Amino acid sequence: MVVDSQLMSFFTAGSLVVIGIFAALFLDNLIKKIIGLAFLADGVNLFIITMGYKPGGIVYIFLPDMVVSNFAQTASYPLPFALVLTNIVIGASTLAVILGLVIILNKRHGSLSASKILRDKGE
Amino acid sequence: MNANALIAVMVILPIASALFLNLLHKKDRTIKILAIITAIVIPIIPLLTPYGSHFFGGYVPLAQNATLAQGLPSLITGTQLFQFHPGIMYVFTSAQQLMVFVLGLITFFAIFTFLNETKRPSGVYAFLMFMGTASVSAILLSDDIFNIFVFFEIAALAQVGIIVASGIKNNYETALKYTLLGNIAGPLLLLGIVILLGVTGNVNVTDMVFTFKQGYVDPNSPVILMSMALIAFGWLYASGLPPFHTIKSAVYSKALPHGAALLQAFSVFTLVAIGIIILRLFSYNPFTNIAIIGISVIAMILGITMAIVQTDYKRILGYLAVGELGYIGIGLGLGTAFGITAGLFQAVNEAIITSFLFIGFGTVLYKTRTSNTRKLGGMMYVNPKVALLVLLAGLAMAGVPPLNAFQSKLMLIQAAIQSGLPELGIIMILLSIVTFMTFMKAFYTIYMRPKPKELEILDNKIPRSTVISMVALLIICVILGLFPQIATNSLQTLAAGLV
Amino acid sequence: MIEYILMITTVLGAIIALMQRDLLKAAILTGIPGISITFLFQFLLAPDVALTQAIVGSAIVPVFIALTVLKTRRTEEESK
Repeated sequence: MVVDSQLMSFFTAGSLVVIGIFAALFLDNLIKKIIGLAFLADGVNLFIITMGYKPGGIVYIFLPDMVVSNFAQTASYPLPFALVLTNIVIGASTLAVILGLVIILNKRHGSLSASKILRDKGE
Repeated sequence: MNANALIAVMVILPIASALFLNLLHKKDRTIKILAIITAIVIPIIPLLTPYGSHFFGGYVPLAQNATLAQGLPSLITGTQLFQFHPGIMYVFTSAQQLMVFVLGLITFFAIFTFLNETKRPSGVYAFLMFMGTASVSAILLSDDIFNIFVFFEIAALAQVGIIVASGIKNNYETALKYTLLGNIAGPLLLLGIVILLGVTGNVNVTDMVFTFKQGYVDPNSPVILMSMALIAFGWLYASGLPPFHTIKSAVYSKALPHGAALLQAFSVFTLVAIGIIILRLFSYNPFTNIAIIGISVIAMILGITMAIVQTDYKRILGYLAVGELGYIGIGLGLGTAFGITAGLFQAVNEAIITSFLFIGFGTVLYKTRTSNTRKLGGMMYVNPKVALLVLLAGLAMAGVPPLNAFQSKLMLIQAAIQSGLPELGIIMILLSIVTFMTFMKAFYTIYMRPKPKELEILDNKIPRSTVISMVALLIICVILGLFPQIATNSLQTLAAGLV
Repeated sequence: MIEYILMITTVLGAIIALMQRDLLKAAILTGIPGISITFLFQFLLAPDVALTQAIVGSAIVPVFIALTVLKTRRTEEESK
């Protein structure tokens, strides 16, 4: 079976993004929506990591016994990984804020259904 | 070596002050003093800072680093690797100076009115305001598109915090809706950014533009179009253009007046900052300009027509603010140097005028605790001076000479005619008239018609600081209206660089 | 070979978590894609990101959601 694992990884990331957007837009329960958003963030992270991956490469950490030119040719691209580290933290903190809002709204409406809570628009 | 540390201070100072304010609890005097000092210093810094660019961590391009560049092989010095920006870079020119200054000024007035209208000012609210200001300044300054994404998320969280802190009915529902949408728009914006990163190998906008121009990557490939669409989606969310105009106007109406004044400034400047980035990256594609103009026209028409039917004056203002964003968008979308200058000038004016209006109508909320226009009336007799100021603000928004929006709207119409699109000019004039009508209708019901019997007017006096803020904003409007060169001269360089 | 299994568990775990009626189960099942992605990161030559994701994706996110479920309500309402 010869399927490029990088390509498959892109497909996995893509399906996570699609599942996440589907859940966030079309599921009624707020917790399910939030789980969907977590999957969306995971999918984007996986996409970025897959982009930096180099098939047959080495980890981008420079150890003392490495040769510079060899390292430069075989290491995977480290910039995307730095971005993902930031994005994971941002995702976790926005998740915490959203969950806090959900707890308060459940207290007020006694419900977790988005159509019930968000029915009255604005006014 | 032009490592200009004051540029970083513009972002770091509000953040540091915000974090410190968050720690203080129930120490009202300390909070007041610290908040007001920071609010005064924020608009002053951009005036003192010399133009230039700041490299975080001192990571300048190799070409500018004499010590590192010495022993390098020609493999590096001969190629473009030598010019690339390895670290986060902030660029500060006259246009950024004006915009960060105006943002700082609006922050100052918002904080000033907040501290005087609230009996027990909470440090957390000031924390949110400063955090938002810091992140929007960073979005304006940054040349690094991932840095923009990080501050985009922080600004979204700060805005949610300002809504939650207001205590107005149904604010939590609006906050939840806004965060849910933000959590879809944020990752999609990031996806667009990383597609660009994957194609060009860089997150620095200058380097990306260079890569496109030199033809290292095919700028017409569908992947780049996809990334443009995703970045534009995040842009629409952050600035409140359609399809997000409903949620954005709800956000304004669920915040306290000084909060709303600041929130609309955030939207305006985010619109400008990310719009400029989109123009810089994708202006080779004629579709970009058409898309921006199309979205802006829809925003203008939807925002202003939906404002007519509202009965909550904060909602009216929210929709009018969204509609006015369309003017900025048209300026950016025209693509000529004159048009972009006009759009940027309109952005500066709009930020000032809308916060003026929000603070002005905030006095009605302060006196009556209601924002429903059906229940209001006769406020003119309660406080004629404030009523006059609000009327002037409304005239400024509609574009009446000699106030500032007249100059920018005139420039926009001229630019539209110059670019061969006189239809846009006609639409803008018509919508200006509709804006004026909508505003006058709201003004009449709130201020001029006889007072309904059941309306209770509270006894508390409008704080003098609120009136002072409004007069100061009016003076700025008049100055910019009489001498538009002050603003347009500083904006021209940026606009000329974009064409 | 192992990476293909991980990719399949990621997607299947996500779908299964969203299909639960019991919200607590859904919250805990969120950890399955989280931990699969952790191993995928390790496979994709990103060990330091994998460390962060191991904590955030497989512990913090499911626990936060589970705590919210415990504080609110356990089952999904009937949608009209």
